Amino acid sequence: MNRRNFLAFSASTCLTLSAGIGFADAQMADVITQPVTISFYNYNLASAGIGREATLELIEAFEKANPLIKVEPIGAPSNEVLSRVQADMVAGQDVDVAQLVFRDLIYAAEQLGAQPLEDVVGQELADHAGGFVPSGLSLGEVEGKTYGLAYVFSTPIMYINRTLFEQAGLDPDQPPRTWEDVKAAGIAIAEKTGKHGFFPGAYGPADGTFVYQSIVMSNGGKVRDGNTLTFAEKNQADAVAMLRDLIDSGAHARIDVGAHVDTFQSGNLGMFLYTSAVLNRLESAAAGNFELGLAAMPAFGDKPTAPTNSGSAIFMFSQDPVKQRAAWELMKFLTSDEAYTIITTKIGYLPLRLGTLDDPRYLKNWIEANPKYRANLEQLERLTPNIAFGGPNYRQVENMMKDAVTEAVFGTGDAYEILRAAQERAQPLMPR
Amino acid sequence: MAVAHTYAPPRRLPRLKLRAFEPWLYLAPAVTVLLMWTYVPLLQAFELSFYEWNMLPRSQPRYVGLDNYVNLLTLPDMKRAVVNTILYTTGLLPLSVGVPLVIAILTSDLRGPMRNIYRAIIFVPMIVAPIVAAIVWRWLLNEDHGLVNALLQHVGFNAIGFLRDPQIALWTLVWITGWKLIGFSTLLFAAADSAINPTYFEAARMDGASRWQVLRDIRLPLLSPTILLLTMMTFLFGAQWSFVYINALTGGGPLGSTTNVYYLMWEYGFMTMSAGWSTAAGILVFTVLGVVSLGCLASMKRLAVYDD
Repeated sequence: MNRRNFLAFSASTCLTLSAGIGFADAQMADVITQPVTISFYNYNLASAGIGREATLELIEAFEKANPLIKVEPIGAPSNEVLSRVQADMVAGQDVDVAQLVFRDLIYAAEQLGAQPLEDVVGQELADHAGGFVPSGLSLGEVEGKTYGLAYVFSTPIMYINRTLFEQAGLDPDQPPRTWEDVKAAGIAIAEKTGKHGFFPGAYGPADGTFVYQSIVMSNGGKVRDGNTLTFAEKNQADAVAMLRDLIDSGAHARIDVGAHVDTFQSGNLGMFLYTSAVLNRLESAAAGNFELGLAAMPAFGDKPTAPTNSGSAIFMFSQDPVKQRAAWELMKFLTSDEAYTIITTKIGYLPLRLGTLDDPRYLKNWIEANPKYRANLEQLERLTPNIAFGGPNYRQVENMMKDAVTEAVFGTGDAYEILRAAQERAQPLMPR
Repeated sequence: MAVAHTYAPPRRLPRLKLRAFEPWLYLAPAVTVLLMWTYVPLLQAFELSFYEWNMLPRSQPRYVGLDNYVNLLTLPDMKRAVVNTILYTTGLLPLSVGVPLVIAILTSDLRGPMRNIYRAIIFVPMIVAPIVAAIVWRWLLNEDHGLVNALLQHVGFNAIGFLRDPQIALWTLVWITGWKLIGFSTLLFAAADSAINPTYFEAARMDGASRWQVLRDIRLPLLSPTILLLTMMTFLFGAQWSFVYINALTGGGPLGSTTNVYYLMWEYGFMTMSAGWSTAAGILVFTVLGVVSLGCLASMKRLAVYDD
């Protein structure tokens, strides 16, 4: 190779390489022309029964509509899916799309490398989000950019065992509206039927903090303000003290915090505040056993309630432009009118697109046949984003908060003091 | 000189070398595996315990000095976990050593099919998958609709919050862990017992020894290596064996009453993604258990009786 050829060769190599690098950074591909496979980490797949079946049905429908895209579904339970995604990234596997719970939002955006959708898909995001509920997109926002596209989500809802209500001499058609009502009804159920009055799904290992945060925010408090923890402040602690008062009065059950669903399913619990996502499961358990009713979450006096979102958003992790297009197509499909028709009727999550309720092609007939779901849908107007924690120790901080709340409610010490001590211990673990 | 040197034993040198390296060559596979899977990770864990890192390749570990250790030693979690670990270990001893020893001795005199039936019954819990056992126990022990509480109430007792009451939950998990272990320990004891030379028993009986004397002076001393082995295993691994049940049944609760150092390590490492915290806890546990196991080995040498 002579000198001239060598220079030409080097130059062309450099050009090719830089073109390659430029390519990786380029905008998402406009169309897909070659078959492509993307991975989809999903926690509904890890559940037995309807959640899994409905998700597989969605993927099948998507592949049928997009024959060039193949989706490789990977299931992991909701409290483990983040670890799975992280472990697979560490192992060098391609993670393209993942369904992650909202508590991991900041971590996914800042540490895991989720793609900011505004930057990747541009205007297509706003076009697609046109029919979302008002605060729909903001659920997945971190510092002004959308990292998670709200997917299957629900709000806390009060499940009522109507049979127990009747046995306790209460009117199941007038379910408790405020916490005062919950206390009275809980005491009546405990005393007259010997069963348990009220329990919130707020303390167990798989519960997350959305029910607790809903209660706190309904009392006008927030668990953190920027990087300052505030879960021991006035309104926040008052809300926990209220739960403690329910315990002391006998209205709030003392049961295994991990077995609340079992207890309600077996007909031993009168009022159960938990995600609407388990509605189908509770309905089938109640059939032939007791009559199930639904009510909106209780309020603090006249204050409006602040239902937060449990559930998950879908995140894009693909770097490759073609895979990004495939991932975005999947994300759009999973949050489309068709998808929510399947998700809402089969799994029991809320439709992110309320327009589906007025359209006979989608959910209109279903909501007319199942009017009790309205209690949950009405809460959507007041949907308040769940607060995630940031920084490398975010899960520790969240755990410490949850442990403190559990101890304040079930323990023997002073509720305010327990929360204050925990907040003091956890604050140094927050980012500065 | 130089010439002589180059000429000098051209054949012997490699042979000498080979001979010196020969043992190392044979040891190499074992040493490599040991280094690769035990000592190198141990050193890496030690190093990692001074860093803050969530194990993601894209994030850089940040050096934090002794912060992880300080956090562990000042937050109440670790203290509670250590106390619980001691409770788990001591609570398990009767179930992993005492009961199996009694069962093995009592069933050793049985003959024929009865002996096998007894032992099979005792061994069955051991082959049930731990997670299945956990779920079945959760149903059995439920306060409102569990079979155990139904029986208790039937005989006139109050229902017990086996997994709900912070005073009781740990002992419930100790029982489930021990229940799974009884079969394994009984098997070891039965094997050790049947390995005792029967001529000792014959000689003792001829000398007019009673059953109790045979047990006290021949059986138990000759079973002592197995007793000590199982005791040491319980000390070192006992709290670890309950991990599955903590994870599946209580998640460390109620009110932190069932967590232990192994669960805490896992929680830090894989639930809260803090490799630094987890490895710092691991190093602390390693140090303490290292001391404990040295003590165990020393006492084993002193106390065990071998039939040489």
